This record gives sequence, C-alpha cells and structure tokens, in this order.
Amino acid sequence: MERTELLKGWGRTQPVVSEVVELDGTPAAADVFVRPGTIARGLGRAYGDAAQIGGGRVVTQPDEVASSSLEEGGVLHAGGGASLDSILSAYVPKGWFVPVTPGTRYVTVGGAIAADIHGKNHHVEGTFSNHVAGFELLTPTGERRVSRDDDPELFWATAGGMGLTGIITSARFQMIPVESAYMKVETRRLDDLDSLMATMVGSDHKFRYSVAWIDCLARGRYMGRSVLTRGDHAQVGDLKGAMADDPLNYQAKPIASAPPWLPGGLLNNASVRLFNEMWFRKAPRLREGEIQRIPTFFHPLDGVGGWNRIYGPRGFLQYQFVVPDGQEEAMRRILEKIASAQVPSFLAVLKRFGAANPGLLSFPRPGWTLALDIPVGSPRLFGLLESLDKQVLEASGRLYLAKDSRAKAETIAAMYPRLGELAAVKAKVDPEGLIKSDLSRRLGIA
Amino acid sequence: MFDALHTPDNVLIVGGSSEIGLEIAKQLARRGSSKFLLAGRSLEEMQTAARQISQFSDQASASVSVIHYDVLAEGATESLLAAAKAELETIDMAVIAVGALGDQAADENDPAAAQRILEVNFSKLAPAVLAIANQMKTQGFGHILVLSSVAGVRVRRSNFIYGAAKAGMDGFATALADAMIPAGVKVTVVRPGFVTTKMTAHLSPAPLSTSASKVASEALKAADRGKVTAWVPPLMAVVATVYRHLPRVVARRIPF
Repeated sequence: MERTELLKGWGRTQPVVSEVVELDGTPAAADVFVRPGTIARGLGRAYGDAAQIGGGRVVTQPDEVASSSLEEGGVLHAGGGASLDSILSAYVPKGWFVPVTPGTRYVTVGGAIAADIHGKNHHVEGTFSNHVAGFELLTPTGERRVSRDDDPELFWATAGGMGLTGIITSARFQMIPVESAYMKVETRRLDDLDSLMATMVGSDHKFRYSVAWIDCLARGRYMGRSVLTRGDHAQVGDLKGAMADDPLNYQAKPIASAPPWLPGGLLNNASVRLFNEMWFRKAPRLREGEIQRIPTFFHPLDGVGGWNRIYGPRGFLQYQFVVPDGQEEAMRRILEKIASAQVPSFLAVLKRFGAANPGLLSFPRPGWTLALDIPVGSPRLFGLLESLDKQVLEASGRLYLAKDSRAKAETIAAMYPRLGELAAVKAKVDPEGLIKSDLSRRLGIA
Repeated sequence: MFDALHTPDNVLIVGGSSEIGLEIAKQLARRGSSKFLLAGRSLEEMQTAARQISQFSDQASASVSVIHYDVLAEGATESLLAAAKAELETIDMAVIAVGALGDQAADENDPAAAQRILEVNFSKLAPAVLAIANQMKTQGFGHILVLSSVAGVRVRRSNFIYGAAKAGMDGFATALADAMIPAGVKVTVVRPGFVTTKMTAHLSPAPLSTSASKVASEALKAADRGKVTAWVPPLMAVVATVYRHLPRVVARRIPF
C-alpha cells in the first residue's frame, strides 16, 4: 500500500510530503529501500524531523500485539510497530509492565529503541534499550538478527541511532512484573531549585520512579519552584475496596480531544503564568501513599488526544538537554536565563539521570535533564536557544535528538563526538546511503 | 531543510543583485541559513553581495555561490535548476526578486520595450517560478517568496506596463500558493509599496515608501507565519484596498 502524505513531527513545525509505505509481513530489503531517502516512522512523537524525509519514503508498521509473545521470565517479543499503549493494554492485566515508559504511551517499540527513550526510572533502571535483548533489523543489505551480546556494535549503533541503521521490525525485551495497575505516589512541593535538587540527590534512590515539574516562569527566590512526584507500582496490600478486588484492572483511554484547529497564541505568558501558579498552589507540601492509576502517573497528557494542537498552527518545540553531575551551577544559570527570558513554557520537567549506556547516540548520561515545551513565534527565540546551546555545550551537556528540531550541525557534532563511529557502522549495513531522515540531512549525520 | 523556526538551510535568490533579495539573504544568514545561490545578470554585483551575505552569518560560515541568470535567455530555467541541484541539493527557500521597471512614457511608444517589461516581470518569469515550485514538489517541501508590488493590485495609468506585468505575476503566484498546499510547498507573495532602491533611484518617493531591509523583514515575518500575502508597510494593505475600490473617475485623478 502506497500513498503520499504531509507528515510532521509532534511539534508540527516542519511539514513535508513523503511517500508512506506500511510494511506487512517481512518484505525483502530490495522492496523497501528502493530509493535514496528512506526512514522508519512510528507514531510521530519525535518533536522535530527525525521520522520524516521530504520527497523520500517513510516506512510504518502496524500497531498490533496479537502476534506478540511473552516468554517465561517476562521477555516480550513484539513487532516494531507495536505501541506501548497496546502492550500495556494487553499485558498489564496479566501482571506485566513495560521496563521503561516515556511521558506518553503512544510510542512504538521500534521508536523506543531508535530514540533510546528514558522514563521516570532512568536513575535506577536506565533507558529502554538497556532492557532489550535483541531485535530484527531490516537494512538495505538484508534483514539482520541483532543480539546485544553477539553484535554489540550494530546493537548500540541502532539503540539511540534515530532509525539511521535500519527498520526495527521486532524486538525482545524484559518486562517487569507488577501486582497491580496502580501506583503508590509521594508528592512534594518545593519552593526553589536548591531544595529540589537536594531532595532528589538525597532520596531519589529510594523510589523507582521520580520526576519534577518546574515552573519556568518563577524568578528570584522562587526560581525552580516545583512539584516532585515519586513512586512505585502499588502492591495488592496497598489497595483498598474495589481496587483491591480487581488490582490489575487497567483502563487507558483519552478523555478528551483537542479540536482539529485552534488559533495560535493560546499559550502565552499570561495563560501559562496563571496555569503554573494554580498548579503549584494545588500541590500538597507533602502527600504520601496516594494511589494513582498508571495513566495518571505516567501519561497525564495522553488524556487529551492531539494536545499538541493547542500550540496553534505555528507549532512548538521541545528543548531538552542534560548536563552532567557536578554542573548544577550550569543548570541554575540556564534556568535563570529561561526564567528571565520569560518564555511561556508550561510544565518543564526536571529529572535526574543514572548511568549512561554504550549507545553511540544515546542521550542520557549521569546528571540532570530539563525538558521544556516552547511555542514558536517569539522573534527572540532563535537567539535565546542559540545561547542556551552554548551554555549546555560549555557544561559538557547535550541535546536530545528525538526532541531537537532546530540545532545546528556543528552544535550536535560537538555534543555527540561518536557520530563518526555511527557513520562507520551505518556504512556497513547501508553502503549506498539509502537511509536518511530530515534530521540526518539537517544535522549532517551519517 | 527548514528548522522549527522556519529558517531554511539552502536559499536560492533569483535576481541575485536585487537589493531586496540581498537584504533577505543577509537576514537569513544571520538566522543561520548556510548555503546561498545567487542567480542574476551582474556577476560583479553578486560577488559583492556574496561577501556581504557571508559576513552576516555566524562566524562567516555561510557559503555563497553565484551564477549568471537572465530570465529572458533561452534555457535559463534549466541551467538555473541544474545549478541549484549542484550547489544546494534541495532548494529550501527561493526568493524571486527579478524585476524591471522600464520607462513607462518611452515604452508606451515602443511595443518591443513594453514586451520586454512584460517578459521580465511576468511571462518569462512565471514559468521559471513554476519550474522551481515543481522541483520543490519533488522534494516534498519548500517555500517561494515572490516579490510582487502594490503596482499590480490596481494597475494605474502612470505605470500600466509594469503594473500589468506585476498584476499577472501576483495572480499567478497567489493561486500557485493554493495549488501547492497538498505538495507541502508554500508560496508567499510580498507586495511592497514604493521601495527606495537603485531601481527607483530616479523617481521621487511615493507616500508610505519603504526600504529594502524593511521589505525583507516583513517578507520573512510573513513566511515564518505561513502567510500567502504580505504588504509592506503593513498599512499598505488598507491603503491599497481602499484605492482598489475607488471609482475610476476618482482613481485616475490621483497623481502617482
């Protein structure tokens, strides 16, 4: 099945027309990579131009879990197009949860590996790829079974490789056992950055999941005021009443949908300031032992279908970077700059990362990551982000490619010194350079 | 490629020695566009322009190449597209800044000269724009900025040859914008009033006259917003709309 489609990333900033082909079964490589410019696409949650190629071919796969199989010990074998949404719906009722989930469950297994996604448990359990035993990779030189142990080179080029080594058609990864479809959550309100960072350093290790939401408009002594939520899967003993009777009852459906068209400018300084103020005030200073559903804890924004449309027709971007441990002052300076620029970013997320993995382009490294959504529109945005890039680079930090939609090639090259190694591995599986994305063209990767 | 802020990597300026084209290129260089191809008649002027553009870029890192291009020459479009492919890979943004004002009084008595004005501003230029648009259609993306003029909104007695050509180009380009929506290609038609440039140096400025750099920044602002039309200065939208609807007996007595 072949068609052309106007595609864009989640930020809706760079629309391009591509041919879209859905894989069915396991087609021959020669049928898939028919021309220069082919890239895999999952559910289009990368913010920028990672899963599109203007004038080229975009390859998708069906989101189905019927053919997936759970081996003894909780290793799931699922198709590359299977979404975490479908996997959770199918396997939480059986007592299994995905090893890592990002802030949305609408990502595919292939996308999770290609972007080497992280979640609230990175500080203890690392990225999604850390839990992957192997995958099948369709490359221009044929289909390969890539096991982490037997072919670490191709495995770690593909994990975090933004789809540039091929199309992940299926993968085997370790699920985690859960007793319930509920979370036991601690919520803390913190008045400034120092107390937030001190709390996270002091006690994050006691929680499997931890993330802080920061008010990026707050300045001065309130800079970094935030709400820290941490938790773990609830055990049956934690539940009461109807929940205890049916602990694995998992329901996840969007409760509303953003209208198909909204004007720009809804998220401006005033509306975001009001929202942030209300959201900070309503958080408790400390609440322990609260029981939340999985979607409430992990995927609150998935409750509104197509929420990216509230940014209006010009779209938005997400700026996510990490600075290593010991660069807390750099994080402070960057936050100060963001706060004083008064960029209307609502709900920025701060998280502590644990150990890095060997992925050539894997983003996380031990330290602090901040992610903020910013509407496109202010003429000052270009200069602000360029100067943030410089500060991140000076602090030996880097940007997350799955979020990037604007960085310069030189900046990314300085942040990812192993790009050359990726190009070398890619050249082995794709000697003619048929795999390309708009991101790889923009950044001159491989 | 475009980035999220709609800054193109690769830019083609057709009418490479146009002052407005140069201003647009300079502003894009400052925003981070990295490759420029200037296509025009005066290699000397374009080389000067090329130096200015790269000076405006961050660490003077932009590369600027120039090719000779005369919209009236046989085979000009083909060689333009071939050069663009070689120098730019993809034409992310094309600025159409070709234009000739002519000398209305003289040209009224010289049909051959009148034909030349019509060709430069419209009948030979429009097919070139179409070829660029089709190239962008193959790429799956692209943005064309067409320099139109208020003169084409209501053609006036005082410069109806130039005005008619601009009217043709304006209609062509605005409808091309509609046609290209499904192809992912955008077209923005820029309608400046009187712009003080070398093309108009011999004339005395009309009311609401503007500068090349102002036209450039308004054009890019409209492009960033994905608008199909842009007036420079913005107030010109009102003035031109009123003027367009004036009764002919009144309109022809207005002295510019």
